[in-house]
Amino acid sequence: MTLLQRIKNAVRKRSIHICYVNTGSCNGCDIEILACLSPRYDIEQYGIYVHNNPREADVILITGAMSAQWIDKLPDLWDRVPGPKAAVTIGNCPISGCAFNRPGSLIDPPVSKYIPVAAAIPGCPPRPTEIISAILNVADTLFENYEIKSRGKKP
Amino acid sequence: MGVAAYIREFARFDWLKKFFTAKTAPLASPLHFHGFPELTSTECTNCLKCRMICPAPGAIEIVQRRDGKWEPQIVPGHCFRCGYCVEICPEEVLTSGDILVKRREQNLAFTHEFEVMVDTNFCMGCGNCCTACPVNREIDPGMGAGGTSTTDTVLMRIVGGRNTVQHNDLCKGCKVCEDTCPNGAMHVVRRVEAVQKEGC
Repeated sequence: MTLLQRIKNAVRKRSIHICYVNTGSCNGCDIEILACLSPRYDIEQYGIYVHNNPREADVILITGAMSAQWIDKLPDLWDRVPGPKAAVTIGNCPISGCAFNRPGSLIDPPVSKYIPVAAAIPGCPPRPTEIISAILNVADTLFENYEIKSRGKKP
Repeated sequence: MGVAAYIREFARFDWLKKFFTAKTAPLASPLHFHGFPELTSTECTNCLKCRMICPAPGAIEIVQRRDGKWEPQIVPGHCFRCGYCVEICPEEVLTSGDILVKRREQNLAFTHEFEVMVDTNFCMGCGNCCTACPVNREIDPGMGAGGTSTTDTVLMRIVGGRNTVQHNDLCKGCKVCEDTCPNGAMHVVRRVEAVQKEGC
């Protein structure tokens, strides 16, 4: 491993830029993400910054149960995120549809059908501590040796 | 306060350490937080009360292990962590947060009843619900395919081309009628009440 690669690994671990996408959630999980920004949990101390722009993001946080309007838009949005990138789903909805997954409802979970999901955080909603620890757990290995792993693949 | 006081304040080792390294957020959940229900050592009797009261679709399954013992399994992607299954269980098989401690301290109990509701605008009297109902099957095994029965002791039967509920109190809340109804006319409503027993 070259020195440049080592520096890239160290920097990518400590500087994660996030964009969150609400694919039809009830806002419960969005409020828990908001609580992560508050001084009590303070995700910026770990180098996690929120930009609501997929073109600036490394990790996109997905909440919500995939409503019909998002089915074509979410893969489109995923293509706009520059690599290295990862998707983390928050809450039960992107996994199973949670309370909304009833006969006749207009949702189509799971989100992993449409884009590759790196980690899923269950809970309705998950605590801010669970969100932070999940993101920190994947951060160490997610973008490690990205150039080596993606060699020969389409960007 | 001069400049020296500022420098003295910011040159402290603790302050510098906190400024440059990540502070630990409260990453532990408080004790009263209801996490996903976990199994205790008591044995499950397969009464299915937890499954009937669970508001989340597909969140709890009661499975039989290899050694013949029953045990409830929680599916994390579906469970709301409401704790109803913990509160309703008469054997205290599940535990979550401080629910069981509070229940013992305050002598709390859940009473629940189910009400079968038929939307007469949608019911076409096909009788699928009556024949599918496991309570009906136990009381009147000879029930006709159209849901007609000679006895009125069943939970529900077709009378005059309409589904009529005869004995609401027999319902155990399995919601098979909801699943089998082709028109979505059946609804099983769950009424849960938390009561405090005497002798507290």
